[in-house]
Amino acid sequence: MTTTNLDQPQTVKTAQAPRPPGRPRQGFSPLQWAALSLFCIYSLLPLWWVLTTMTKSNGQLYSTFGLWFTSPSNFAENVQILFTRDNGIFLRWLLNSILYAGVSAVGSMLFAAMGGYAFSKFRFRGSGPMFNIILATIMVPSTALALPIFLLMQKIGLINTYWAVILPSLVNPFGLYLMRLFWDAGFPTDLMEAARIDGASESKIFWQLGLPLVRGGLVTVALFSFVGAWNNFFLPLVVVNRDTLFPLTLGLSVWNQTSVSSGQDPIYTVIVLGALVSILPLIIAFLSLGRYWQGGLTSGATKG
Amino acid sequence: MRYRTTPWLFLTPFLLAFTAFFIAPVGYAVYLSLFIKKRSGFGPAQNVFGGLENYLRAFQDTAFLQSLGNILLFLAIQVPIMLIVATAMALILDSVKSGSAQKFFRTAFYLPYTVPGVIAGLLWGYLYSKNLSPLNQITGLKTDFLSSSILLFSIGNIVTWTWTGYNMITLYAALQNVPGDIYEAARIDGASNWNLTRYIKLPLLRPALTLTAIFSIIGTMQIFSEPFVLRPLGYVPDNITPNTYLYLAVARDGNFGYGAALAIIMALFTLIFSSFFLRNVRGETA
Amino acid sequence: MKKVMLSLSALSISTLLLAGSALAADPAFPKAPSGNITLEVWSWVPGLDKTVASFEKAYPNIKIKILNLGGGPATYTKLQTAIKAGAGAPDVAQVEYGFLPAFADTGGLADLSKYGAGDYEEYFVPWTWGQVSPDGKAVYAIPQDTGPFAMVYRNDILKKYGVAVPKTWDEYAKAAATVKTKSKGTVKFGNFYSTFAPWFMALAWADGGQFFKRDGDGWIQNLNNASAKKVLNYWNGMIRRGEVGTLAGFSADYWNAAGAGKLATNMEAAWGPGGYAGSLGTKSAGMWRAAPLPQWTAGGSIKSGNWGGSSNVVTTQSKNPQAATLFALWLNLSSTAITADWNNGGLFPASDAGLALPALAVTSKNPSKFFGGQNISAVYAQASRGVNVNFEWAPWFPFVNDNYTKQIDRMLKGQLTPDQALDAWQAESLAYAKQNGFTVK
Repeated sequence: MTTTNLDQPQTVKTAQAPRPPGRPRQGFSPLQWAALSLFCIYSLLPLWWVLTTMTKSNGQLYSTFGLWFTSPSNFAENVQILFTRDNGIFLRWLLNSILYAGVSAVGSMLFAAMGGYAFSKFRFRGSGPMFNIILATIMVPSTALALPIFLLMQKIGLINTYWAVILPSLVNPFGLYLMRLFWDAGFPTDLMEAARIDGASESKIFWQLGLPLVRGGLVTVALFSFVGAWNNFFLPLVVVNRDTLFPLTLGLSVWNQTSVSSGQDPIYTVIVLGALVSILPLIIAFLSLGRYWQGGLTSGATKG
Repeated sequence: MRYRTTPWLFLTPFLLAFTAFFIAPVGYAVYLSLFIKKRSGFGPAQNVFGGLENYLRAFQDTAFLQSLGNILLFLAIQVPIMLIVATAMALILDSVKSGSAQKFFRTAFYLPYTVPGVIAGLLWGYLYSKNLSPLNQITGLKTDFLSSSILLFSIGNIVTWTWTGYNMITLYAALQNVPGDIYEAARIDGASNWNLTRYIKLPLLRPALTLTAIFSIIGTMQIFSEPFVLRPLGYVPDNITPNTYLYLAVARDGNFGYGAALAIIMALFTLIFSSFFLRNVRGETA
Repeated sequence: MKKVMLSLSALSISTLLLAGSALAADPAFPKAPSGNITLEVWSWVPGLDKTVASFEKAYPNIKIKILNLGGGPATYTKLQTAIKAGAGAPDVAQVEYGFLPAFADTGGLADLSKYGAGDYEEYFVPWTWGQVSPDGKAVYAIPQDTGPFAMVYRNDILKKYGVAVPKTWDEYAKAAATVKTKSKGTVKFGNFYSTFAPWFMALAWADGGQFFKRDGDGWIQNLNNASAKKVLNYWNGMIRRGEVGTLAGFSADYWNAAGAGKLATNMEAAWGPGGYAGSLGTKSAGMWRAAPLPQWTAGGSIKSGNWGGSSNVVTTQSKNPQAATLFALWLNLSSTAITADWNNGGLFPASDAGLALPALAVTSKNPSKFFGGQNISAVYAQASRGVNVNFEWAPWFPFVNDNYTKQIDRMLKGQLTPDQALDAWQAESLAYAKQNGFTVK
């Protein structure tokens, strides 16, 4: 690494906002614009297709140009079908997804924060191997866990309950790993020991002193778990048979399967509209919490 | 020592859930993998203890080994392309000060990640159809993206589309987190933009890149929904990925023992591959 | 004039059918068990909840809970898992005929002959009973709907190119060549569904092809039988000459071609026309017609095969197998249920008398309306009676089904001749069956 003495007053300061050091230019070069635009089109084109398709009927889907709108628009009818089909079950799926993802986000965040804290701030017998085992389970394919989880759920009578989806989603080994890094970096052990000398209880140290310092990590893990639970497909597929308990992914895929295999009443464009509705909450979550998330994930990563 | 029990108290909630929903199922899968199907006449098959027979079968199962080969191809081509593009985009975005254009691109790049795999497969399936594909309509070509000879690349494209932006955000955030004084120092030394990127930014990205690479390896190993959704649209080999092969062994063939054995081999394969990768990266850094 | 002629002939066919079926719909059903019973039913038939309301009215002590877990594979996976777990399976589930032996093989299906189902054999179209009771003793399911094969065609396109509706495969091939020449290759005369093994098998089935057979304690598998080779060579020839397309069934590409007039005919099961009406909407509406499947020899009675259709199984986990059997019989033999399932889901009944129900002959509603007001049910009813009775499936059919797609892909790429593709299909499937412990030749 280059070492220089830092007090050399060399950089010219801009009048108003000081430039972030090392990022001096105001705008992208033409070449950079081209690269960014190209990748942007690649990222957005399929989503643009979603926007045009959700305004079409099934017949129009097969007979019109995929990347532009057609008249008459079938949008209103699609919305109506989406929210009324099978007695309006789509709304129920939406609420289920919010419940599953919400509980998973909060629950796994807390579990990971507590677990990560234990690994970061305490030395205890077997902590090393245990931490490695937890990390290693990230490698286990979800298909491998699905059947055993189903059989175990069956034994304790949790099949077809909200718990069957929620409980397994509370475990986030990677979240625990991240939280450990955040605790390592964000909460100095000196501070903890000082608090102990002051007579603070362990729980007070954790909840009142520690947690606020790792806020970025908490948001990161919560967002991760939220997206993971929101997009989860395999687990609910296996442990839930009641359509009233389906999350959005499973519900839409059942509609799709039925359209594919019976061919009687295909509703592909309605499903596409449903897909858009199902990703909206994630977009909102990212836009509103992105600030934390970005800072978050990587302050861990750079330390890793 | 009053702190002997404290860590355990903090760990209990996680460990309870972890044991119930990770350790126990994995243990159960190991147990299941020791049983094979036996039958005589028309009656239903019996599950009998077969020791390691399922594992021996897997290592002689060319279809399964091919599916692992496909994964290696993915790791050799798709993952590097994805990470290189993600790194390039992150560096470009990081090269100027934050503004609205940058915010827009960041959001646009991230959007595909929010689309669930099942839905992504569905919409790319449409974009891939030979006569209707807007790609073919615009270019006037008649590329059959679903032809079995290029299918692996078409799936690779879906995966790239979904995950590049996500990885880009991770890397970009890593760059933004780098303390400004390091750049300041380099600039003072008269480092050019290129040298700044080459000698300062890229080395600083290494931990974040390692992380995204490991996750890509794990994710690649578990590719499932994309090929699965494409199945009705053309010939998708049973063994295009280990996960589809495993799924069919269980869901189609009802062979739970063999499926469990395949799952365990896959997990070990991932573990070995990731740690091999990790060691190499660490080795270089040290 | 033409229209009148058409409906007249349709009428005469259905009167013939009425005369032919000695048994009326709505037979005397078994007595319902007493006490309050709830039955869970897994089915992807659209609108089944409405059908079931009539059942609950007739049998107030039995409540039916319908669950749609997704068509075909999605439901099978769940059923497979629940049977394996020994709990969680429904009382009644929908299973396609080809997949029945695979489920029977798990031991998870109840033998319905124990609950009197054997007495109802005569009420079903003969070949369907062979599907649910292959050995003539145990009954694994009650037939629900069927997919006898007929040809759908674009009346306007055939007229445009001056081609008569082909009655034999010979005429079909000639017409295909004519249309190719006259349209300069822009219109395909037919389409070969390259990913649907049961579609191909139905064509060979119509020719008397047998793919599986029970033999003593084991099985005989004959995927490369003479009929299969004849049929595949025939289609491959037309594909090579560019007269027939190979678009994947139900894909966006397929519907696009069908709606845009780039496709003149196709072989479809009885449930197919509903899909045309539903998928194409107003595009090409009224231009389609249905005709009997072309035959290999002219003049004889119409022979057909079957593609798809499903049955209702009762699982061994059911606590009320008696009531479940009653429900399965009612669902598939009562005129109320058959009428509702036809109207809501386009289910073509397996009930013999059901084929003659007035609802099927209504031409002012889809699918008949989409088919220019032709009573297409009459065409399919005739086909249903011409389906070979002895057709069997094997428990490893799900694998055979997937392996077909692989071999056909190689054939279409020119790597294999049709005969080689069928031989490879036979060899790889045989190896698989043996590896999974089946006694098979």
